[in-house]
Amino acid sequence: MFQGHRGWFCRSVSRDLRQFWVTEGGTICDSQAADFLFSCDASHPDTLRIYQSLDYIEDNATVFHAYYLSAVANAEIRNSVALGHFILPPACLQKEIRRKIGSFIWEQDQHFLIEKHDEV
Amino acid sequence: ATDSCSKMLKYRCSGCMAVGKSLNSRNFSKLLHSCSYQCDRHKVIVEAEDRYKSELRKSLICNKKILLTPRRRRRLSNEF
Ligand SMILES: [Zn+2]
Repeated sequence: MFQGHRGWFCRSVSRDLRQFWVTEGGTICDSQAADFLFSCDASHPDTLRIYQSLDYIEDNATVFHAYYLSAVANAEIRNSVALGHFILPPACLQKEIRRKIGSFIWEQDQHFLIEKHDEV
Repeated sequence: ATDSCSKMLKYRCSGCMAVGKSLNSRNFSKLLHSCSYQCDRHKVIVEAEDRYKSELRKSLICNKKILLTPRRRRRLSNEF
């Protein structure tokens, strides 16, 4: 599924999810070379560095919540999961966004995803 | 892109619909910005992120000016 894609992972992302990326054919690289930027914590220093980068300011870097990967792992049709639902905005914006649109998809799924992980 | 966006369902914009291999962290933001229709969720997120980015941009330009203005630099070095 991720053949030929390069991913960067914040240290907040669990090993399980990185492993899934690799198992599915993805490679892991630094944030500059990556096509995909994954994080589980917008306030982690690794991810903060992305939010302060020129790439981010110039709309060339969107951070996605790594729960996208567990959603893919759990989906019946793997490429039916919309990546766009897993945008991870900077932590300082999350409260305001939540007030307007309710909780993020990756928050809603969290319970189910964690349960799923415990079984493994 | 604009045409296909307008045909989309009421609460699903191109940011929601876009599934598959071509999308990634590098092109997603541009895709959302280029779409004339954004669903409520994506609109709120994009607006918030855009505001954050423009503030960052401003502070970057400010920092640069402070560093580059010779008089200011001299003043700083006298102060410390
Ligand atoms: Zn949308």
